[in-house]
Amino acid sequence: MMNSKHFFLILTCIFFVDFNANAQDLLKKLDKEFTNIPLYEIATFKTTRIGLGQSIETRKKGALEISLYNRYWDKPNTQSQSFLADEVNTRYGLAFSFSDNFTIGFGYSNFDKISDGYLKYRIIRQRINSKKMPISITLVQNFSHRKFKNTNANLYSPNSSENRYAFSTQALIARKFSPELSLQVAPTFIHRATPNSSNDSKSQFAIGFGGRQKIGAHTSIVSEYFYVANTIKSMGTFNSFLVGINWEVSDLMLQFHLTNARNFAEDTFISQTTNNFNFKDPNLHFGFNATFILHTKKKKINKD
Amino acid sequence: MNKFLFFLIICIINIYDFTAQNQFIARQGQITFFSYASVENIEAQNNQVLSILDVKTKKVAVSMLMRAFVFKKDLMYEHFNESYIESDIYPKATFEGDILNFDKNATRQTKLINGVLNIHGISKETKIKSTIENNNGTYSIYGECKVLVKDFDIKIPPILSSNIAKSITIKFKFQYQPYDE
Repeated sequence: MMNSKHFFLILTCIFFVDFNANAQDLLKKLDKEFTNIPLYEIATFKTTRIGLGQSIETRKKGALEISLYNRYWDKPNTQSQSFLADEVNTRYGLAFSFSDNFTIGFGYSNFDKISDGYLKYRIIRQRINSKKMPISITLVQNFSHRKFKNTNANLYSPNSSENRYAFSTQALIARKFSPELSLQVAPTFIHRATPNSSNDSKSQFAIGFGGRQKIGAHTSIVSEYFYVANTIKSMGTFNSFLVGINWEVSDLMLQFHLTNARNFAEDTFISQTTNNFNFKDPNLHFGFNATFILHTKKKKINKD
Repeated sequence: MNKFLFFLIICIINIYDFTAQNQFIARQGQITFFSYASVENIEAQNNQVLSILDVKTKKVAVSMLMRAFVFKKDLMYEHFNESYIESDIYPKATFEGDILNFDKNATRQTKLINGVLNIHGISKETKIKSTIENNNGTYSIYGECKVLVKDFDIKIPPILSSNIAKSITIKFKFQYQPYDE
């Protein structure tokens, strides 16, 4: 007679044999083999600009961004004969990425005759499935130069070219909350070589809020708002606001938006927007940005 | 006493079974895919594909991270992960199947692998023809197959339909080593 203890042991043995022969689910075995390489979030925003201001995104090494930004608006109470819009401000821009984290860009806008440039450096990237780094941070240093002469030139602030520079420094902090929703906060410091009026402060502080919500695989709704802490006293200004749609078509990014900001350089649109956001002329601006990305370096794929 | 002997024999069989090398793993498998379209050709490669081969049960499994594909253009990489494959939601693609009429001792054989391919969260029964080589106890599998984009619910907007092929060619190559658990 087989006693129960032995019987149990034999049963376990048979079970073990069986277990081995069937081999546990092969895919489950493979899941254990994946090495834990840190993965970073990609495409927190699809474009390097949310709409008005910069986003945390930078292009990868060797990418050349050719951009054309337009703002259209109508003059109030005119017997205008123009097609669609009375006025347009266009910024022609070029940006080149020297590394995956570092981009230099230049642009010129023809209505306000401002040349601007920026250095953009990505310092922290958000990690996927990790609590170690929940946000991305990018630093942007902007500089702009106005061609138009200062209206209030005097002995103490002559109308020399070097007095028409302005600088703005931004720390962009963003988080991709879900594949659809990303939000960004942008503390900004603006410094002008010469203010418009002696009553105005040379330096201004502002904070930008931006976000995108994807509504399709290739389209997203974006919005941006800039709050200025110490506004210019010499003229009435409003905080800039934008709402729009970003759409990507292969190498081309198209952005359509409604905004009250007319200018493109950071120091002007953040603290010198003279229109409020409403649908009256000349306050309503229709914006259309087109950005084309050219890859000057292509990654090699090993072929056998 | 003979009961105990019986138990011992089973145990020995068990140990023998345990030590016999039935499973082989490939940690640096290579998968390349091609999309030949009128506007542009897209090509991507993943060199970190995992695969496991069980010669006893004649089963093979493949698993890969979609984020590990390398593209010529970085924008393609972003679009692939963000807009088409949605690797945030479906990080992996897998395949698990049975090798039909597999002979573990043949040095070179071309067999059909009947299994389930899972891409973009959608499983589909597929038969893949592949060549299996046996070099003194280590195996390698390579071959080529085609998948239809629409089978895996990958949406291509009409405006970009001429940029991406409807049928994607996939090439694969795995070199296996004995698997220790």
